[in-house]
Amino acid sequence: MNNSTGCKILIFKNRFSSLAKSLGGMGKFFCLFGLCLFLVISCGKGSQTTVSTTKVASGNGDRITVGTTLRPRTLDPADAYEVQSLVLVYNMSDRLYTYKSGSTELKPQLATALPKVSPDGLTYTIPIRQGVVFHDGTPFNAKAMEFSIQRFLQNGGKPSFLLKDVVDSVKATSEQELTIKLKKPFAAFPALLAFPGVCAVSPQAYELGAGKFQPSKFVGTGPYKLTQYGTDLVRLDVFDKYWGEKPLNQGINWQILSSPANLFNAFRTKAVDVAYISLEPIQIKTLQESAKKGDWQAIAAQGSAVKFMALNRNQKPLDNAAVRQAIAALIDRSIINQRVLYNQAEALYSMVPTTFNVYKPVFKEKYGDGNINQAKQLLTAAGFSQSNPAKIQIWHSSTSPTSASAAQTIKAIADKNMEGILQFEINPVESATFFKDISKGLYPISIFDWYPDFLDPDNYIQPFLECPKGSLANGCEEGASKTQGSFYYNPKVNQLIAQERQEQNPKNRQKIFTEIQAQVAIDVPYIPLWQSKDYVFAQNGLKGVQLDPSQFLIYKTIQK
Amino acid sequence: MSRYQALRYYIIVRLLLAPLMLWAIATVVFLLLRATPGDPADAILGGRAPESAKQEWRKQLGLDLPLWLQYVNYMGSLLRLDLGKSLTSQGQAVWQVIVDYFPATAELAISSMIVALGVGIGIGILSASRPGTFLDWGGRLFGIVTYSLPMFWVGMILQLIFAVQLGWFPSSGRFSSSLPAPERITGLYTIDSILSGNLAQFFTTLHYLALPSITLGVLLSGIFERIVRVNLKQTLQADYVEAARARGIPERKILFSHALKNALIPVITVLGLTFASLLGGAILTEVTFSWPGLANKLYEAISLRDYPTVQGLLVFFGFIVVGASIVIDILNAYVDPRIRY
Repeated sequence: MNNSTGCKILIFKNRFSSLAKSLGGMGKFFCLFGLCLFLVISCGKGSQTTVSTTKVASGNGDRITVGTTLRPRTLDPADAYEVQSLVLVYNMSDRLYTYKSGSTELKPQLATALPKVSPDGLTYTIPIRQGVVFHDGTPFNAKAMEFSIQRFLQNGGKPSFLLKDVVDSVKATSEQELTIKLKKPFAAFPALLAFPGVCAVSPQAYELGAGKFQPSKFVGTGPYKLTQYGTDLVRLDVFDKYWGEKPLNQGINWQILSSPANLFNAFRTKAVDVAYISLEPIQIKTLQESAKKGDWQAIAAQGSAVKFMALNRNQKPLDNAAVRQAIAALIDRSIINQRVLYNQAEALYSMVPTTFNVYKPVFKEKYGDGNINQAKQLLTAAGFSQSNPAKIQIWHSSTSPTSASAAQTIKAIADKNMEGILQFEINPVESATFFKDISKGLYPISIFDWYPDFLDPDNYIQPFLECPKGSLANGCEEGASKTQGSFYYNPKVNQLIAQERQEQNPKNRQKIFTEIQAQVAIDVPYIPLWQSKDYVFAQNGLKGVQLDPSQFLIYKTIQK
Repeated sequence: MSRYQALRYYIIVRLLLAPLMLWAIATVVFLLLRATPGDPADAILGGRAPESAKQEWRKQLGLDLPLWLQYVNYMGSLLRLDLGKSLTSQGQAVWQVIVDYFPATAELAISSMIVALGVGIGIGILSASRPGTFLDWGGRLFGIVTYSLPMFWVGMILQLIFAVQLGWFPSSGRFSSSLPAPERITGLYTIDSILSGNLAQFFTTLHYLALPSITLGVLLSGIFERIVRVNLKQTLQADYVEAARARGIPERKILFSHALKNALIPVITVLGLTFASLLGGAILTEVTFSWPGLANKLYEAISLRDYPTVQGLLVFFGFIVVGASIVIDILNAYVDPRIRY
C-alpha cells in the first residue's frame, strides 16, 4: 500500500466512520425494526375503517363514503360542465326546477310552480320560494336568483353558451317573482333551468364578471354544504337550515380514486360504501355477478348518454346517401352490445333515446339489425364491388375504450360479411386532437358519446342536425351539424327544429320529433348505436341508493 | 487555486447557470406545448361549445395573442415567480396546485427512497460479500428482476395480494376518508401527525403509505443493489483491502469500515438523480395507488392542454432536478477528494 492510498483511507475513514458504525452495528437493529414496523402497520388495520370486514365501512357514523374516479375540475356552478363537477353541484344546490324521481318530468324546486309562458313564447314568469337561506346565512329571493343566472351568463364559464344563445334578459320583478325573456321561443327552456349549473348561489360569496370563478368553494341553498375540497377527498356536511326534506345520512365523503381498477378494488375491500362511475364493463359484469350472490347491491338505471357514429357527407364515398344507408343496414347492435359492453347498454335506433315518449325506432324499422343483404344491395347499386370497394376510415378518441371496441366490432362485421365490398380502417387519435378536428371535416366517420345538457328530445336533435348556413351541394358551412362532424344540411329539418322549439303543445311537438327522426333514418347523417345504462354498486345494509335521470347519484336518500 | 476555492468557484458557476437552465426548460416546454396538436379551448370546452364561445374563452385567457407576445407575457410572469392560473380550474393559481399536491408526491418519494436504499444496499452488501454463493446469485437476480419489472404491473399484483386478498393494507388512497386527516402544517401527513402528537393518524398514514412506497422502493432498489454489489466487489479486491486482511482485521470490519464507504460513493450520484426523477415522475405509482400527487395532476393537465399548469409544474420539476444535481455535485466533491474541478 503506497502513501496516497493510505491517506485516502484515512480521509474516508473520518468522513464515513459514523455511517460505517451505523451500518455495522445497527444492521440487525434496522432489519428487526423494519420487520416490526411492517407487522405493526399491516396488523394495525383492525383500528382502521377502510379495510373493514363488516358489511358497511364502519367507524364513519352515518356518513356515506362514495368512491369514484370523477375528479371535479371546479365546483363553481357557472363553470362546471362535466359530470364530475356537476354531480357535486347538483347535490349541494337547488335549481328553479328539477326532475321527478325516475322521470324526465319537471317539478318546481326553488320555484313554487311551473312558469307562466306568454302567448308569444318569449316571456317566462316564475314564482319564487320563500323561507330559503344560503349556506352562508344570506336569505334567498328572486333578486338572488337573478344574480345567479346573470353570473352564469356573464362570467363566461364553460356551459354559459347554453343560456347565452337563448336568454335575452333576467329580472326580479318582485321579491318572489322572476321574469326571464328569451331571444326566440324555446319550448324546452324550463328543462334548461334544471341544469345543475343554473342553481342559486349566494350573492355575498360570488362576483359577477368575466372569468371571476371560485373553483374550490360552493355556497348554495342545497341539502349539503361543502366542508372540505381536498386533492382526493371532498367532504359534504348536512346543511341544518335546509328548507326541504333533510338528508337521511350525516354527510358524504366523496373519495376520488385514480382508476377504475382502484375503484373496483376499493369497493370489493369495502373501503367505500358506494362505487359510482367509472367502472369498466368487465368490472361491472363481475360486480353484478357477485351482487346476485348477495355480496352487495347492484343498482342499474336507464342512462341518458348515447353513443353514435357521425358520417361526414362531405367525404367520399359518404357523399352518396346509399353508402351511408348501407352502413346503417350493416350495423348489428346486439353483437356490439354483447361484445363491447357485455349487454350493459340498450340498443338505440334513433337519435332520441328511449327515455322520451317521442322515441321512434326508425333505424330498426328501415334497416333492421345486421341486414347484410340490404347493405350489399345498396352498395352494389351505388357502383361498389369487390374490385371497386367502398373504403372508409373510422376515427375515435384513443381514450375511449368503448369507441375503440365498437369500431373494431363494426370492422369485423364488415370484413366477415361484406366480401370486401365495404372496407373499414380504424384510426384512434388523442382526444384533444380528435375533438378539434371533427368540426374541420377531417374524419369520414367518427364515433363518440353524447351526454345531454338537459333532458328534452331537443337536446338530442338540435345540437346534431341544425345548420342555419349551408347548401345541399356543399353541406353545412356553419352550424351544429358541422360541429358534430356530419356537415348535414337539410332545410326541411332546420324548419322542423324551429317548429318544435316554438311549439308548447306536447302532442304537436311529438309529431314534429317523429318527422325529424324519420328524416334522419333516410338521410343517415348519424347512426345511433346504444343508449347507456348507468350502474352504481352499494354495500349491503345501505338503503335509498338511486340515480336521477341525468345519471347523477342522489346523496340525500342514501341511508345506512 | 486550492481544492476548496475551486469547489466554491464551481458551486457559484453552477448556481449562476441554474436560472439559464430553467429558462431553457421553460422555453422548450412553452414551445413544445404550442406545437402539440390540440387546442385548449377544444380540450377544455369540449366539442359542443360553439366557436364564438371558444373564441371568447381564448380571448379572456390571452390565448388569441401572437405566440411571441404570449411568450413575453409568460416569461414576465415567471420572473415575478407567478406561474399563472390553471385553465381547467379557472381561478386556481398554479402555485396553489403545487402547494396542494406536492407534499403527497414528496412523502411518497422520500418513503420509497428509504425503502430503496435499505433494501438495495442491504442486498448489495450480502451479494458482494459472499461471491459465488446462492446469496450472490440471488442478489444478481433480484437486481435484474426489480430493474426490469414494470411498476404498474407489480403495483397491481401487490394490491391484489396484500390489499384485496390478505386485506393487510388499503388498496389505494393516502388517508382514510372516514377519519379526519392530519391538520396541515407541512402537508406531509407523517410529519404533521407527529407534530400534532396524534399517533393514530401517524399509523394510519404509514398504513396507507406502506404499499405504494414498498412497491416503488423495492423496484428502485435494484439500481442501488447493482451499484453497491459491483462497486463493493471491486473494492473488496483492492490492494488496501488485501493489506487490511493481511493485518488480521476481521472481514466484517473490513467490509463495513473500509470497503463499503468507497462502494457507496456512486450511490450518492444515483440517489440524487433518482430522487429528483421520483419527485417528478412517479406518475405510474400515483395512478396505480390513487396517490393524490403532482405527477397525477400533471398527466391530467397535459390531457386537457392546460398550458399554465403544465408549464408551471414542469418548471417546478426542472427546478428540483437542477437543484438536486447541484447538491449531488457538492456532496460528491465533499466526500470524494479525488474529484477535481
